[in-house]
Order: sequence, then C-alpha cells, then structure tokens
Amino acid sequence: MKAALLDAVPGITPFVGLLGPDGHRDTTGAFADLVADIGPAELLGLYRDMVIIRRIDTEATALQRQGELGLWPPLLGQEAAQIGSARALAPDDFVFSSYRENGVAWVRGVAPTDLLVTWRGVAQSGWDPFIHRMATPQVIIGAQTLHATGYALGMQLSKSDSVAVTYFGDGATSEGDVSEALVFAASYAAPVVFICQNNQWAISEPVRVQSRSAIVDRAAGFGIPGIQVDGNDVLAVMAVTRAALERARRGDGPTFIEAVTYRMGPHTTADDPSRYRPPADLEEWAAKDPLARVAAHLRDAGVLDAAAEAEVTAAADAVAAELRAGCLAMPDLPPGALFDHVYSEPHPRIDEQRAAQEAYLRMFS
Amino acid sequence: MTGATSSATLTMASAINAGLRRAMEDDDRVVVMGEDVGKLGGVYRVTQGLQETFGDRRVMDTPLAESGILGTAIGLAFAGYRPVCEIQFDGFIYPAFDQIVSQVARMHSRTRGAVKMPLTIRVPWAGGIGAAEHHSDSPEALFTHTSGLRVVSVSDPADAYAVIREAIASDDPVLYFEPKRRYHVKGEVELDAAPGPVRAMDRARVVAPGTDVTVVAYGGLVQTALAAATAAQTEGISVEVIDLRSLSPIDFDTVVASVERTGRLVVVHEASQTGGLGAELCTAVTERCFYSLEHAPVRVTGYDIPFPPAKLEKFHLPDMDRILDGIDRAMDRPNSLQDRGW
Amino acid sequence: MAQREFRLPDLGEGLTESEIVAWKVAPGDRIELNQVIAEVETAKAVVDLPSPFAGIVARLMVDAGVTVSVGDPIISVEVAGEAGAETADAAPPNLVGYGATTESVSARKPRRFADTPVVSPVLAPAAEVAPAAEVAPAAEVAPAAEVAPAAPARRRAAPPVRLLARQLGIPLETVEGTGDRGLITRSDLERVAGAAVDGSSRVAGDEESTLIPVTGVRKLTAKAMVDSAFTSPHVTVFLQVDVTPTIELLERLRSQPRFRGSRLTFLTAVARAVCIALTADPAVNSRWEEDGIRQFRHVNLGIAAATPRGLLVPVIPAADTLSLGELDGALSELVQTARAGTTPAAAMTGGTFTITNVGVFGVEGGTPILADGQAGILAVGVVARRPWEFEGEVALRSVVTLSLSFDHRVVDGAEGSRLLAAIAALLADPASAFAS
Repeated sequence: MKAALLDAVPGITPFVGLLGPDGHRDTTGAFADLVADIGPAELLGLYRDMVIIRRIDTEATALQRQGELGLWPPLLGQEAAQIGSARALAPDDFVFSSYRENGVAWVRGVAPTDLLVTWRGVAQSGWDPFIHRMATPQVIIGAQTLHATGYALGMQLSKSDSVAVTYFGDGATSEGDVSEALVFAASYAAPVVFICQNNQWAISEPVRVQSRSAIVDRAAGFGIPGIQVDGNDVLAVMAVTRAALERARRGDGPTFIEAVTYRMGPHTTADDPSRYRPPADLEEWAAKDPLARVAAHLRDAGVLDAAAEAEVTAAADAVAAELRAGCLAMPDLPPGALFDHVYSEPHPRIDEQRAAQEAYLRMFS
Repeated sequence: MTGATSSATLTMASAINAGLRRAMEDDDRVVVMGEDVGKLGGVYRVTQGLQETFGDRRVMDTPLAESGILGTAIGLAFAGYRPVCEIQFDGFIYPAFDQIVSQVARMHSRTRGAVKMPLTIRVPWAGGIGAAEHHSDSPEALFTHTSGLRVVSVSDPADAYAVIREAIASDDPVLYFEPKRRYHVKGEVELDAAPGPVRAMDRARVVAPGTDVTVVAYGGLVQTALAAATAAQTEGISVEVIDLRSLSPIDFDTVVASVERTGRLVVVHEASQTGGLGAELCTAVTERCFYSLEHAPVRVTGYDIPFPPAKLEKFHLPDMDRILDGIDRAMDRPNSLQDRGW
Repeated sequence: MAQREFRLPDLGEGLTESEIVAWKVAPGDRIELNQVIAEVETAKAVVDLPSPFAGIVARLMVDAGVTVSVGDPIISVEVAGEAGAETADAAPPNLVGYGATTESVSARKPRRFADTPVVSPVLAPAAEVAPAAEVAPAAEVAPAAEVAPAAPARRRAAPPVRLLARQLGIPLETVEGTGDRGLITRSDLERVAGAAVDGSSRVAGDEESTLIPVTGVRKLTAKAMVDSAFTSPHVTVFLQVDVTPTIELLERLRSQPRFRGSRLTFLTAVARAVCIALTADPAVNSRWEEDGIRQFRHVNLGIAAATPRGLLVPVIPAADTLSLGELDGALSELVQTARAGTTPAAAMTGGTFTITNVGVFGVEGGTPILADGQAGILAVGVVARRPWEFEGEVALRSVVTLSLSFDHRVVDGAEGSRLLAAIAALLADPASAFAS
C-alpha cells in the first residue's frame, strides 16, 4: 500500500497530517502505517528532541542579545519539521541544509557548542561534514540543493543505498539553482529528497511573492512526486520522509516534500518581524504549536507526567548550560589561521603571505 | 604499459582526449560531465569515445545548466569522486560563477580542510576563431583573482596532455583553459611520461630563449609571440618567449630570472587590458626587478571592450605586428605610442 | 560576591546605540540568568535584553528613555563567586556583532627595530681619487639561455639612475655600486663623473715618460670630441670687429640701478647678440639628424666652461627669451655651478648653439669643435685695444676676433658667414638691435 502511494505517476498527494493541534493521533491510513512503530515512549523521545532544540534556540538568542554571538537564526515553530525528518534518516544518509537547520544538526550528533562556531564568527564551519554526514549549513540560498543532487549521483555511481537529503525554505524555491537541482534529480532519477520548509516568510516577504501556487505543485512540473505535509506534525513529517527515503533507496528517484509550517521568530536576531507581520498571524499559528500538540497527546496518554516533564526540562537545561559554557569558553583562532586550508596543496602566494603576516606581527612583539 | 615511453603526433584536442582517457583509466573516481560531452563527444570532439569506453554514468551528458553542472560536481566531490566538468564555451561560464566562486573555491577553507574539491573545470576559451557573441571570451582574470582556485592554460598538445592529467590528479580545484584556435594544431606528445617532481601546471616555460626582451604570453598567443620573435630576429632583436602556463599561481621565479637578464618585459594577452593578468605580472615584475629594468613593463592586450563581432576581431586581438610594436616600445625603438607622453 | 557590569552589545548588524525603553528590574532584585531585565529599542526593533548573570541587581546605570552607545555599561549585578575577579576594567562582552567597530585608539604597540642603519656607507669626498674611478670588476655575463646564478649578470640601478647614466655616457658596468647588494646610486654616478683627472692620481711609466690615466670627464670629453670632429664636416670663418660701442654700452648700463649687482660682461653681450642673430636667421640653430635637419625654435645656449674636472658645457635653455639682465645672471650662475661641480644633469643637455670664451686664455681665436651634435659654435677671443680704422683715422679701439665653426652638412659658407657677420654687426653697433 505505501509503495503505491508514491509510485503513481508523479502528482500531488493530499495534505498529510497525523497528529492534529488538538493532540489527537490518526492511526489509520498508509502514512500512519509508516510510523506505526512510534509508540508513546518513542513519541516522548521526539518530544524531548523538540524541547531541547527549542531550548537551544532560546539560549542562543539570549547569547546573541548578550553580545556573545554575532547573529542567530531561530527555528522557533519549525521543530517538528526538523526533528520528524531528521530522525527518519539513516546514519549514512547525507544532509545538505540551509543555515536554519540547527535542529537537524543536533540530531546528526553535532555538539551544542559546535552549532555556535559560525555564529560567533570564529570559523566558517563548526564540524567535519564527514563525521556527522551533514554539510556546513549553506548561506547562499538554494545552492545546497545542487550539492545534494550531485551527492546522490555519486551514490548511484557507487551503487550505495545512501540518500542525499536537502533542506531549504520557500524563498529558496525561487532561486535558479533549486530548479536546476530538480532537473538534474529527475533526469538521473537521483536518490535525493528535497525537503522544503515553507515557513511562510523569506525575511519580510510572504510566500505568495515566491509562488502563485502551492510550492509542492512545482514538483510535478519537473516530473518529481510531491507531498505536502503539516510541518508542525512531527509524526506526519517523519512518515512522509520515510516514504521518500524508501523510494530513493529503491532506486525510484527523488521526492519533493513541502512541510507547511511557520517561522514564529524573526528571520534572524537582526530582524524585527513586527514591521511586516500582523500579530494575529502569530496567534493563529501559536495554536498549532508543534510541541503543544505532542505534549497534549502524551499527557492524555499518561506518558508525560510530572516526572517526565521534569526530566525533559532538566535535559534541555543541561544542553543550554553546555551551550552557554561552550560559547563563552570558545577560543579564537590565531591570526595565521587566515591562511589555513585555502588550498589543499602547497601554494607559493599563501606561503609568501603567511610569512609576510608573521613578519609584520613580529614587529609588535 | 611500463618501461618504454611512447609518443604520438596529436592535435591539441586529441591530446586532451588522450589525457582524459588516461586519467579515467588510472582512477575510477574520475568522471566527466558537461553538455554534449557523452554521445556527441563534445562540440570540439575533445571527449569523443570516452562514453563508449566508460559508460554514461562516468561520462555524463548533463542538462543545459552550467550552475547545475558545477553544483552537482560539488556533490560528487563530497561523495568521493573527481569530476571533470566541461563548460561548453568560455562565455557560458558566468551562470556557474557563483558555484565556482562561492562554493568550489571556498569549500576547503570553509570546512577547515575536511572537504576537498578535486574538480577540474575545462573551458574551451578565447578568440581568433571568428565566432558569434559569447564564444570568444577570456574571463581568466575573474578566476585568477579568486583565492582557492588554480588556473592553468595550455598552448600546445604536449602541455595539453601533461597538464590535464596533472589538473585531474590535483586535490585542488583547477580551471583548465583550452585555446580553441589551437585545437587543431599538431605536436609531439609523450604519452607515458612519468610525473616529475615539479608539475608542469605549476611552472611557466621558456619556449624560446633570447637576450634583449622577455615576452610573456599564454594560451593561443604563445604561437603568435613565437612568430613575432622570429620576425624580430631579422631586425636584430633577440626575444625570449615565455609561456606563462600557470595563470594562478603565477610562476614568478621563471619570469623574474628572465627579466633580470633582459631588463625588458612585454606581456601579451587577449583579455581586456584593465585588471587583466598583464596588470598583475607587470606589477609583480616591477616589484621584484625594479633595479634591473631598462624600460617600464609593456602590455599588449585586447582593448577594454566587450569581445567584438567576428569581422572586427582582428583589430582587437594582439597579432604579430602588435606584439612587435610592443617589443619596439620596450626596446626604446620608434613605436606607435612614442608620442603618448609617458 | 563580585560586581559584574553588562555593557550594551551590538544588537543587530552594526548598530551603534540603543534606547532603554523600560527597565524590568530594580536595584535589589534577585535575577536569574537570561531573565529579561530591560526592553531596548534599536533602529531596527524593540528587543528584550536577557541578563548574562544571575545575582542581585546593584545599580541601573542608565535611566529609562535614555539612548546608550554600544559598549556603555547599563547595569551592574552582584554575582556570587569570583571575589574581586571582575572589576570595572573587565573586558566588555565580546562585541561580535557584524558591522563597524570604531577604534579611537590604535592597537599598535610601539615598533621595535634593531638599531642597524640601513643607509649606504659614507661616500669618499670628491677630492679622493682613483680607486673608485677604476673600472669595476667585469660583470659576469650569463649565457643567454641559462638561468642566472645568484649574482645578477647586469648592474642594479633604479630607472632614474639608469637614465642619468645614459645621459652622462657612463656605462653602468664601469661603476661600483655602493647601495644594497651592489645597487648603483645617483651619488655613485656623480662620484664617477667627478673623478679627479689630473696626473697625481696614478702615475706609471718609465724614466722617459709618464702615463697619466684618463678618466671621468676628460675621458667623456675626449670621446665627444672625436665623435664630433669625425662626424660633422667643420668649417670655421673668422671676423675681427670693433666692439667699442658695446663695451661703452655695458659700462653705462652697469651704473644704472637696475643692473646693480650684475656683472654685465662682454660675454653676456655676445650671448645676447648670438640670440638675436639666430632668432633672425635660425639656419644654424639646427642639428643634422638621420631623417633631416632639425631646426629648433629656441636657442638653448651652451657655454663652454673650464672646470677643475675638465671641459663642461652647461646649457641656458631658451636663452633667446631672456633679457640682457636675465642672461647675465644665468651666465654667472652657470659658470659658478660648473666650477663648483654642481651642475644638474638636465642642464648639461639640449643645447642648440655654443659659445666658447677662449679670450680668457688671452688668445684671439681658433677653430672650435662643435659640441654635442650642434651645428654651430662661436669662439670669442680676447678683447684688446688695437689700432683700428675709426671715422677715417687710426684710433685705439676695443677689438675682438670671433671664430664661428659650423657643420657644413647643415649650413653652407654663405649662411655661416652671414650669421657671423650679423653677430659682429650687433656687437659693432648695439643700437642697431633697436631698429630690428
């Protein structure tokens, strides 16, 4: 049944949702089957994940307000889209994301402090992509979609069943690179999953500036099956991601997932959304909060009792404390780091200029 | 095949083809990708026969999307492959500029050495072929100015063969510029030459020794410079011609050693004058050879104009006589600009 | 307990100040880490400020409604632990926000160099002779195709110095450079050009003769003479002329206030006469060139000067544009600087006609050799009182012989003679210049 779901001629499947804002879980249907293994304990784990990454977000925002970080892009409101999809990935899958996917990075095993390295301005990346199988979050909008597609081509060449997964926003879908990635992915039937978090905003521009139809509608134009999912529903997100991954591993090619969600916070800490967003929007979406619905469901199920709440909160506090301590203790790189790794092989200009810098700095010692 | 070296007389296009084939035989991770490179073998036939041998996944006909070619090549590099991308014509490289400059050039330093970009980007390049708009550009300065990239040009079949193999073997991203006007020129190629301790792609090469003036050229104009040197000889001027070959990083040692001997420098390139490689060379040589210079360095280049239509091309590109005029200028002989005032 | 201050950070991409809209805490309040302590308004947004410390609010340092600069302390908090570790001198929070940082104070510490002078060794005074003027050890000339070894095959000299060497006709290979790594400096050239010339420098030979080495200016002059004499076909014409009116004129002018301090020598008058004559008839103000005869617009007047170093011919440019007084001043200065050896290189070239005053040696005239490729040179002999025809009778008059050599390729006998006659006529009757 679930195979048939996505093997049909590429088209649009309806809006997928399993766990509504009221906390009620739908356990029937093909997509529900894909997450039948997620019982109350597992769901508590997903809830814990979301609480932790929300806490990382608020702590990092505070650190920025305290002058410890230059900038932070919050993912507030998008926790389910990131946790649901990231928890579906196999360890050998490879992620190519934008700068907002700190929740995905945390799931991939990146230490909290390493999440902050680039935002503190110490270096341009915080971790080795091959250790966490996640590329440095991309600042050039949409560029990562091509990298993911190329990686997927490499998996085909290697006859590996690893899948490339790329995250990007609604704004990114206007960039040419994203279209080119969809063209390449479809032409080669590449094992790549495109996850678009439509959080309704590209800084101050609403999604209707980027697209006059649902973003997921575009996929069909490229010959790629698309699914639109409630991005605030961690179970539905996980289900559709699992379906897409399986499709890719089978060799049936790419899938386009549009996770409909909302950017509850500013674009970054340097943004003031009150200049362009009506407060009513926030109220409307607060009612669909991804954490609240899971908490409600788990309380009803008797799983999220006081003890469990306390444990989850403690876990989040511990991560936040680790984040703060790590941030404050983060050492700066020495001046010579300017020249490190510009080239992989020895290079005369680098050698000359490194030596010139050293000679210059010696004048002050 | 070991032991005996074999050589062949090949056109430059065939020499590059042979180099690509050899690189793909030597390393399974080398893949070739670009528009029309597979079944057609490339619009200049530089990749012909490769898809038959290595299959349509190692030799990919890509969609018509330059940014896509480079972006997916980056992903292939992440996956452990060594992509050789072709940009069909120099004037079409600009859509790929962002992926090259923002991603390929920076990935190694961004990831603090964790991720390498062993890409080779082949570009049929430059003018002198009477082509339509955008098919004769010389954009090399845009890339020599971008840190993290290596940029090479070749001028004859022997170099074309040796350097394409070195470029592919290099763990750094390399832009490999192929002068279209020389694709059909033949030359002797050593097919089994073992790699030496110093790569050809890192070094400039003295292609003709001389004592009175140093002329530095690269790509298609190396032959033109040699012709000018021969003509100058009949006027009693001994010209040393250098093929720059490595456009980034420039091999200053070779050029400086020459200018220390001659005291005079003429740099020749098709690309526009302002901000071109001539500017970098002349400044660097002046910095290093100031006390040996008999005359200010001279540039003979294209004008600061978009590349002109085919019928006007010959007025724009440096030819033998323009180079000779530049030599005259450097030698304090009467020349077209002697009344310029500086 | 220790007091910590929180300084206003850059809250968004290069902002320089914010206004404290409202405080959410008061002195004495116990606050938690990250508790919102104030609302601040920036150019971009109203934001909550979370406290970086937990503790007790000690002091609010800014009132609500006040705009504060980034980096200014806004609140101090008593924090548990680190006694005295943090004071008001503690470094402010890392202001890592993007955008401009203003540094009013340089971060540079004083530079420290080793006390080694970088200048070239002090040059020997000009009076010291010879070894410096010796031909320098022959430079190794590297074979053309080989890469030169560490020592460069060619001399090192800055382009302006190269130019000067060319103008002075000094091959760089003959100069020992005293600059960095053998760099030939301007003063090296001047030293060679001014090298002493007399025989006391080095004497070799036997009892029958002594050999005086020829170096420096004398050597250059010898070469120039040979080049001139064996290139231009020289013809000399002579004219004796009664210049008493000029002598008398000069005497009268010298007593005038405007010429006070001017020497107004006879040579000045000759120079003026030459300029007037050449302006009227410029045929001789020319030079022979490969493609033709180049005739010059102005008279750049060379004046042969005998100096301790030898014969020099400094030039007064555009002498025809100078008045008598100006010409006199230029002449005096020229001769003085030539004798002192301080003539600038530029003043040694570009002459179009030369005057050589052989009269100072007491001789009447001669056959002067053309200088520097010019087409004419006038030798002025001694002005002596001689019996001469004057108004039908014999009288003692001031008489001088003028000898004009010219390049017969450029000028024929008629033109040359006409010029000489014109110069003589002006000197015989300076008032005639009034009528021209």
